[in-house]
Amino acid sequence: MCRNDRSAALRLVAGAVVAIAVWGGLLPQLLSFAPVARHVRLMEKRGVDPAAMYYTELERLPLPPPWVEGCVILWPWSTAPNGATLGRDRRE
Amino acid sequence: MQGVRHPRMKLQEDPAAVVIGLGIVLMALAVTWQARPVNDAGSRERHPKGWPTPLAATVGMPGAWTDVPRDAFRDKQGDPAAGPIALGMGWIAVIAAAGAALGGRSVRACLPGAILLAVLACLAYVLSGQKVIKYYNLEYPLWALAVGLFLGNAVGVPRWLAPALVGEFFIKTGLVIFGAEVLVGRLLVLGLPGLMTAWLVTPVVLVATYLFGVHTMRIPSRALCMTLSADMSVCGVSAAIATGAACRAKKEELSLAIGLSLFFTVIMMVAMPPVIRWMGLGPVVAGAWIGGTIDATGAVVAAGESLGKEAGEVAATVKMIQNSMIGLIAFAVAVYWAGWVERDPAGPRGTLVGEAWRRFPRFILGFVAASMVCSWLHALGPEQALWVDGATTGFTAKLRGWLFCTGFVCMGLQTSFRELAPYLASGRPVALYLVGQALNLALTLAVASLTFGWLFRRAVEP
Repeated sequence: MCRNDRSAALRLVAGAVVAIAVWGGLLPQLLSFAPVARHVRLMEKRGVDPAAMYYTELERLPLPPPWVEGCVILWPWSTAPNGATLGRDRRE
Repeated sequence: MQGVRHPRMKLQEDPAAVVIGLGIVLMALAVTWQARPVNDAGSRERHPKGWPTPLAATVGMPGAWTDVPRDAFRDKQGDPAAGPIALGMGWIAVIAAAGAALGGRSVRACLPGAILLAVLACLAYVLSGQKVIKYYNLEYPLWALAVGLFLGNAVGVPRWLAPALVGEFFIKTGLVIFGAEVLVGRLLVLGLPGLMTAWLVTPVVLVATYLFGVHTMRIPSRALCMTLSADMSVCGVSAAIATGAACRAKKEELSLAIGLSLFFTVIMMVAMPPVIRWMGLGPVVAGAWIGGTIDATGAVVAAGESLGKEAGEVAATVKMIQNSMIGLIAFAVAVYWAGWVERDPAGPRGTLVGEAWRRFPRFILGFVAASMVCSWLHALGPEQALWVDGATTGFTAKLRGWLFCTGFVCMGLQTSFRELAPYLASGRPVALYLVGQALNLALTLAVASLTFGWLFRRAVEP
């Protein structure tokens, strides 16, 4: 093994050791830190994947809010077809 | 690399990406249609993410894990998922081989490297799947770049890997496939207030930030300014990839834009909900503000949901509207670049259209074609919408993820720290990002308050 190969192998091993220490030790420890644990629990409970890059990667496709149902608001002061204000239905 | 064997069959990188990408989209649609459910084919409640597609079993991805990385190779039910993940890696080897064959390069020389790249992409996915990393939105492109940068700079790239280092090809093919997810009809889901929030603010911030970077901050690379502006104003990494490819940004410029976007996304995801609570904004305006400003889709949903269900729904929908703009923005950027930025004033005089066409990145046409076809199908009716959703969420989105991840590993392997250092040392890209994001925050809050909070208030609140 020439000197360059040996130093490259050493750097590779050093990188692997650092990765194992961070991913195997530090990050799992961080999960016991209360604010981090709370955030992770909330996201898991709501089925949210914050790492989704695009909406198709979300756990569920985004639901338009209730006041959109049955009526695309194209002008101010629009109301639902039945005359009720759209935001009220879901909350009830 | 071996010489060209079949000159008549040789395709350049862009047409090869278009042929392979569109072929995959059509295959996904055909297979999903063949396996369509007999009962309740039009029921969104029964199929919330579209029709199940048999192709989903051929492209698994490593999942989330806490302290044992082996758990990444299990599905949500705890069953082993190594087979589908290996098949996902197999797709990379198949696409790399197809690209080599269409490009007139040696398939045999390319395959070993493609397999190693797929393994490294898998490693990047595993690193990004650790729960702290995943739930704080440090997405896989960052780890793919990090793995590539470390190996390329600290260890070195073996010679036999060189024929497979076609990062741009992987990203362009991924973008053509990505077109199937960019549905124009999604633009209308929030009606006029959604359109105003997403369409009024986004182009203004994009153009203003780009011009500020080029003319006021005098950043030498216009491509860097455009990629940074797009990833900050549209939707983060996916917009950076699409516009970066459209304006031919350098590898290190795209890496920098993605790194900055992910860094500030984490900060905004954590900081915006408490600030909004302190400001006392209503859930609809708050959701629209979050959806219009935080870069990454997942982070938008996370921040919105932490304010409540309604804010989460509005935030996700506004972001989805912005997501749908990627196609148009990438197309517009490609036209602007080909027609104006890259035009050589001293070069031979031809018509503007002719010159622009000569320089136009052809893969954008495949991206737009996939988007148009799937948007049209999606708009035909509820069954067709579930058909497209099933093909994209079940298969093409995952395959596109593998292609992007592999592309970023290649970019990392080919990027030198020395080339990246001047961009970081100058500090100007960071300053441009901050200026642009400040404008984005102010303008989005103003328009969201105007539309959702005042003009359309009667429609959105009791």
